[in-house]
Amino acid sequence: MNVREIFIVIWVSLTSMAFAGNDQSADYLFEKGNTAYQNENYSEAIDQYQSILALGLESGSLYYNLGNAYYRTGAIGLAILNYERALKWLPNDENVRFNLKLANLTVKDRIDPPPEFFLFRWVRQATNLLSSRGWGLLVAIFLFIASVAVAVLTLAEAKRFRTSLKYLTGISAAIVLISVAAMIPRHRIETGQNAGIIIHYSVRSLAAPQEGSTELFIVHEGTKVAILDKDGDWLKIELIDGKQGWIPADDIGTI
Amino acid sequence: MSATKRSNSLLILFFLLVLTGATIADELRVSASADPNQITADDLITFTIQIEGTSDFPNVPPPQSPDFVIVAGPSQSSSIQIINGRMNASKMISWRLAPTKTGKLVIPPVSITYRRNVYKTEPVTVNVLGQSASQPPAKQNPPAQQPNTSQGAGVLLKAIPSKTTIYKGEELGVAFTLYFKNVRTYAPKKLPDAKGFWIEEFPIKTEPEVTTENLNGVTYKKAIIKRLALFPTTSGDLVIDPFVIDVEVIVPSQKRRSIFDDFFDDSFFDNSFGEAKVVSVSSSPVRVTVRDLPESGKPSNYSGAVGRFTISASIDTAETTEDQALTLKYQISGTGNVGSLKMPELQLPNTLEVFEPKIGKSVNNQGNAISGTVTYEYVLIPRSSGLIRIPPVTFSYFDPNRDGYVSVTARGFDVRVNPKGKMFASDQSGLNKEEVSLLGQDIRFIRRDNSGWNKIGSSVFSEIWFWLLTISSVVIFSGAFGFRWWAEKMVTNISFARKRRALPKSQKGFAQLDEKMKLGDLSDFASILNQILVNFISDRLNLPSAGISTPEIEVCLKKKGVPEETVSRVVVILSELEQLRFLPSAADAERYSILVKEEKELITLLSKAI
Repeated sequence: MNVREIFIVIWVSLTSMAFAGNDQSADYLFEKGNTAYQNENYSEAIDQYQSILALGLESGSLYYNLGNAYYRTGAIGLAILNYERALKWLPNDENVRFNLKLANLTVKDRIDPPPEFFLFRWVRQATNLLSSRGWGLLVAIFLFIASVAVAVLTLAEAKRFRTSLKYLTGISAAIVLISVAAMIPRHRIETGQNAGIIIHYSVRSLAAPQEGSTELFIVHEGTKVAILDKDGDWLKIELIDGKQGWIPADDIGTI
Repeated sequence: MSATKRSNSLLILFFLLVLTGATIADELRVSASADPNQITADDLITFTIQIEGTSDFPNVPPPQSPDFVIVAGPSQSSSIQIINGRMNASKMISWRLAPTKTGKLVIPPVSITYRRNVYKTEPVTVNVLGQSASQPPAKQNPPAQQPNTSQGAGVLLKAIPSKTTIYKGEELGVAFTLYFKNVRTYAPKKLPDAKGFWIEEFPIKTEPEVTTENLNGVTYKKAIIKRLALFPTTSGDLVIDPFVIDVEVIVPSQKRRSIFDDFFDDSFFDNSFGEAKVVSVSSSPVRVTVRDLPESGKPSNYSGAVGRFTISASIDTAETTEDQALTLKYQISGTGNVGSLKMPELQLPNTLEVFEPKIGKSVNNQGNAISGTVTYEYVLIPRSSGLIRIPPVTFSYFDPNRDGYVSVTARGFDVRVNPKGKMFASDQSGLNKEEVSLLGQDIRFIRRDNSGWNKIGSSVFSEIWFWLLTISSVVIFSGAFGFRWWAEKMVTNISFARKRRALPKSQKGFAQLDEKMKLGDLSDFASILNQILVNFISDRLNLPSAGISTPEIEVCLKKKGVPEETVSRVVVILSELEQLRFLPSAADAERYSILVKEEKELITLLSKAI
């Protein structure tokens, strides 16, 4: 037990050190990319931003800037893909939404999403107030507070603080419940691979995951699709209007 | 006119009398009379109320009788006589009444209020005779043909209805014809009133056409002075009230009656050699029977039109855009009861917003029958795009000539409604207004700030701090509850407490023995050693510790499934200790330490087994 704890502590400090090193180089690359973008050297900027992704790091700003760089080079599909990815981290950012809207204007397949019920929209907006880490921090801290308070209540005869401790436990438990309810959907958004953007100009959607099967419909660059299934190098997609088909995995970027 | 003037001067005179302190008659006498008392149904009576005894005459209400209609009046006359300084004033108010039925009719008393007293006239009975056998009353066509002679003035007014039995809503023409010999002018005094009718009047030329007609052997000149079109709005027996006119007739001068009479008895000379006299002439009431429209074959959308009509529809455009108003117009025209024409309900699609129609009516009274046009103008606003179908409208009316219902139809329309935003190039179709305004804009600039890096595909669940905090919370939580549970069980459950405490207790005993051994005190060493083992076993098995025998312990241990070998070892050591208790010197310190070691071994073994 003790040995394990020590091991965990060591491992944590080591990994955080390693990340710190990566973070520094990521910051440097990000700055280089921004400068290149400002000098209108967009492909250079794309290279710099992509090398940050190659380090295994991501952020909302990075995706947003990368989307802008792709937009400038005319790669609308990739631009939309990166804006959508940026929205995962900056769900309420006005700039990201504006640029995404602008990019979506040039998409050939115009499928309007059905309007969202206002209660669902409120809930979604509320969960987007914090990232999964933010909600997770709330969960962890208040769970800790609640458990300590409960421990004191059960073990010690703290007559004077009993009522306030009970209140503390109740409030902490409520915060934990709300935060868990918000954290789980945020986690699914951040790690989800269930939506994608068509990144090639025109993609044929087939009835089966193999070349030469019946062609069902054609989707164009920038269209957002839901990813339902995976079979080798093929993905089963669904459009907003309910059409389903198989397309090569290369033609799609998962958000 | 002159009567009022006279009464004015009387009033002044009366005031003077009041001022000079002349006595005023307190008594008021009222009386009523009818002249003549016996008439035929087509005649008129003069009903007179006379008031005597005062000069500030009270208001006199008109007679209220269901059997009579007032055709003229009231006319008033008053007189004041002063006899021996006593004033005697009287006033006469009279009306001309026409009976509405035959028989003994009673005019009920008229109440006159004067200085808070109510004076009542006596009821007046009038005998109205039925008409002669050749002219039975009512319904016979036409009852009004019986002339209403005006005391030899040579003037009579006849109301001639076109029919006496009509349908509800059907046009009834009534022509008022004046038969006369010598008439200079006429003026309407009372227009005919008719309850239950919608009345339209035809225009009459100021110089009516005059023809001659022989009536009952007398030659009259005749002119139509009024033409009405009446449309009954209810059914049943209805009465059109008499039309009363004042006629200025020329009566030949009595003085001039001479041998030249025949010569001068000529209309040509009447004007110049006659004496003008004003006579009231009244037509007879016209009775008509109004029938309800037949129920058989009545269309469901029938709304009361009677006559002959056509309907037409027009629309201002066949193609429009969303939210752009259209005007749909229906026009119903024809002859008949134009005043009560109603447009049938429109069956319009829900995508059209319909406003209250603008209704226009025009009635044409030129010609032989009343005609007219009713227009309904609807403003429609299409709220969605596509093809809108305005269905044909069917209008139904009753044609009295055919004695049946007729339906006419106005055409329907198909209106193409274009979507609102279709003014842009085709490749941008589907863009809404906001998007179109976005087209001219550029993307926003990149972000220079960065809120920190995340590992790709990671979330809170890949963070160690999250798991550490969560797990430690769970540990604290369950630890606290576990401890609480243990502590409570130790207090409440004796067997549990004994079992938990057995081992520490034996260890305590051994420590005590070690102390004794060091001191070299071997007295009751065996007894303590025995006690430790017996107590341990009884604690673990929750047996009474005092007075338990070795065979009992053996049985209990075997029951608990303790290995045979261990049990026999326990039995051996217990029996040895039993002996040593009574012979403590039988063993030396070395033997005791071996026994202690053996017992410690046994307790370790037993603590695992039980």
